[in-house]
Amino acid sequence: MRRLIFGIILIVIPFVVTYLYPISAPSSIHSLGEFYLKDSLTSVRSPEVVTSILWDYRGLDTIFETAVFFLAIMGGLAIFRELKLEYPSWEEFPLPVKVVTKVTAVLIVTVATSLALHGQLTPGGGFQGGSTLAVAPLLVIGAVSLASLRKIGITLERAVLVRILGLTGIVILALIPLALGGYAVQNQPYFPSEFLGTLLGGSLLWYNIFEFLAVGAGFTAVFLILAVAGGGRND
Amino acid sequence: MILLYIGAGLMVIGALCDLLAGIGMLRFKNFYLRLHAATVGTVGGAVVPLIGVALAALGMPSLPGRLAIAGASFITALIILLVAPAGSTALAYAAHRSGVEGNFHFDHLRGEER
Repeated sequence: MRRLIFGIILIVIPFVVTYLYPISAPSSIHSLGEFYLKDSLTSVRSPEVVTSILWDYRGLDTIFETAVFFLAIMGGLAIFRELKLEYPSWEEFPLPVKVVTKVTAVLIVTVATSLALHGQLTPGGGFQGGSTLAVAPLLVIGAVSLASLRKIGITLERAVLVRILGLTGIVILALIPLALGGYAVQNQPYFPSEFLGTLLGGSLLWYNIFEFLAVGAGFTAVFLILAVAGGGRND
Repeated sequence: MILLYIGAGLMVIGALCDLLAGIGMLRFKNFYLRLHAATVGTVGGAVVPLIGVALAALGMPSLPGRLAIAGASFITALIILLVAPAGSTALAYAAHRSGVEGNFHFDHLRGEER
């Protein structure tokens, strides 16, 4: 009886919530929002307003955010600095699982790259692409082994190196306009806004690429550490 | 127009498969049988209706962006079709390794008659 009542409540709640909060278009847009929507394409040269707010209008915020995330991951890695990563090979799943995992990993890398490179045109961007990218090594660790990950050249040292390169790239990008006489984290007119008819959004594309590398490599490093720090899979 | 009806039919089949999978998840007795129900839910309940969505989108000439919808649905269906069996194989293998009991007639992984 209690389960029945619980079930009825569970079914009724969505209808009540939908009835109480009808989804409708707002009658007016806040003036700040209107400014971003109208200004983004002409001044940032990017139709994707979220990315242009993240890397242009509020670019300094995002750089601080990236620095905080960098410090968090580096702090996490520092805790495990005594750990010797050995890339063990463990008993593997049956063949179909391994093959499908490898095919899926390639697909994930492709989707992640397109998310990052299209960040200034469609929803997505560096962080989203990077987090998607890091799922591929995680899947390979789970379904195949750490040893196979090293065989294709993904090691902890390289992941940390790529992460540092990504962060350095972001800092250099932020300082380029300053060196050319503008402000730090300024976008136009210091970066090319168009290439072969495709909008690049000025610096947005480059920020996205470096953020993609930094986040993807950072999460990969953490997954590598966690795969071993948890004791690995004991077979 | 005929594509629209075929697509709608596939979606109805998908809904039925999902319903059957749900009942199966509740009623089946052990892990391996429930895994069977779950795979009915993913292949029958996700791949089939997605192909239905693609066909229905192709059958509606007035729908804006119908080719994009159809293409995305087909590719998603293909990926699920590829990934779902691998996932259930991995689950079944891991469950067998950790000693989950099922009412097998013959256990190929251990190679012994029950």
